[in-house]
Amino acid sequence: MNTTYLGLELRRFARDRANLFFVAVLPTFLFVVFGSTQDHASTSVGNGNVALYMLVSMAAYGAVTATVGVGGSAAVERMQGWGRQLALTPLRDGSFVAVKAALAVLVALLPVTLIALVGWIGGAEGPVVAWGLSMLAVAAGSTVFALFGLCAALAFRTEAAVSAASGMVVILAFLGNLFVPLSGVLLDIARFTPLYGYVSLARYPVTEGRLISNDGRDLGTEALWVPLLNLGVWALVLGVVATLLVRRGRGRQ
Amino acid sequence: MTTTRTAPPSQGAAAQPAPPATAAPATVALDGVTKTFRTPDGEVRAVRGIDLRVAPGEVVAFLGPNGAGKTTTLDMVLGLTEPTTGAVRVLGRHPRHAVREGRTAAVLQTGGLLRDLTVGETVRLVASTYPSPVAVDDVLERTGLTPLAGRLVAKCSGGEQQRLRFALALLPDPELLVLDEPTAGMDVTARREFWRTMHAEAARGRTVVFATHYLEEADAFADRIVVAAAGRVVADGSTADIRSRASGRTVRADLPVPGREAALRALRAHPGAADVRVQGDRVSVRATDADAVARTLLVDLGGHDLEIATGSLDEAFVALTSGTVGAEEVR
Repeated sequence: MNTTYLGLELRRFARDRANLFFVAVLPTFLFVVFGSTQDHASTSVGNGNVALYMLVSMAAYGAVTATVGVGGSAAVERMQGWGRQLALTPLRDGSFVAVKAALAVLVALLPVTLIALVGWIGGAEGPVVAWGLSMLAVAAGSTVFALFGLCAALAFRTEAAVSAASGMVVILAFLGNLFVPLSGVLLDIARFTPLYGYVSLARYPVTEGRLISNDGRDLGTEALWVPLLNLGVWALVLGVVATLLVRRGRGRQ
Repeated sequence: MTTTRTAPPSQGAAAQPAPPATAAPATVALDGVTKTFRTPDGEVRAVRGIDLRVAPGEVVAFLGPNGAGKTTTLDMVLGLTEPTTGAVRVLGRHPRHAVREGRTAAVLQTGGLLRDLTVGETVRLVASTYPSPVAVDDVLERTGLTPLAGRLVAKCSGGEQQRLRFALALLPDPELLVLDEPTAGMDVTARREFWRTMHAEAARGRTVVFATHYLEEADAFADRIVVAAAGRVVADGSTADIRSRASGRTVRADLPVPGREAALRALRAHPGAADVRVQGDRVSVRATDADAVARTLLVDLGGHDLEIATGSLDEAFVALTSGTVGAEEVR
């Protein structure tokens, strides 16, 4: 791992205040508003309480916003000539991907840590193991969505497309049962959207598969294979689309 | 050409015999290189067959109008694209290997920098990709960037960014420096300063190949000029050789209308005439032997109001690249 490169990438990220806001501050704020201060925040869900459930959700939202941005800008900067510059150095493509993947994970850990801290003070409760496993799943799973940013960048070739993709995460988060607990038909639809599997898996150590409604009611239990299949299929779809777009880009050169 | 061919051109690298141990391999060797791009509008033949040898220590200008295939050729020398047919070797290896080993470095035409890094950070980043780079401070000093080390790339002028690209190219201490229109977009002062720095680097014994469409730059800096047009080499020689071609003259005269067609035919067949054009009543002949053409015009063809003009370097360049002079005539 080229640690000099990774260090400089972290510095670049920190330089972009807007990025820091959307990745770390906004999700934390949303958690405070939607999670910890609600009436039923202390209602228990599985191993923990609703506050912890919302904590994991918002951490996941922040982490995905981060990785979509990292994946997208990696592709855009390569297309805008930095790729040619790097091709003149001994740096291999694999090393570049490793640096960007490490960056994505580190950046994703930013909202995760911040929200966990705020949540710990603000009444989120659950076993330490559940906290730990959930936070790990949030950080690890979010890397899949770097591919989403990559696809947006490869398809439209602009920085604006990457911002649009990051913005779309908000809509996908609503559809994916992330912000507001869904029920009925909306929940049935949610199961097919990209963020559903990821956030359900991240919550699994806390909920053990329990679903809750908007007012904290218990909606029963969901088998583990549902979110696993969802995340697996979407990872495959994003991977295939990204590969096809890379091939199209090569053909154009 | 400065070096002689040691092996016949071959298609594959494997078929190429090892160069004799005594003779240093050419720094750059292109054999029958072509490059064809497929686009939605059909095939574009950017390079149509280039053979070229660059010897160690040479400073070569690659001169040609836009679309001559300069950038494509240099991309192949850098291993950024593979030739469609033919072979490219740099220091006896595949171009990519020469780049990976830090023996080749380049200043590319545009793009290629991260706007939200500082100058110093950019140099440190690229240095970190080499196993044993030249010291960052040393490179900054040599390119005059030390005072700008803390400035964001986005806030640097075009000339400053170009100096930064040049600094990056010096990091591996390369044997071959490739510069693709390095001064494009620079003002006169920046351009002069850039070449002053370049002179110092070439004096360290590096081989330099640079593309340009500024004739004066090629003339002032290169030992040898290779002129390309439409994907082929149309002239290759010392700057003095190319300059002597610039002394070609243009002979103009009015021709009487009766018998003009026959007169034009005679002029076109004249051994001293390279190009014949008609503008109204006047015929304009670019001549390699102006005296002979003038005599023919006045004595045999009834021309009058004759004038002879000395061609400029620019005109020689236009003549070379507009396809009226073939490569055979130049050598």
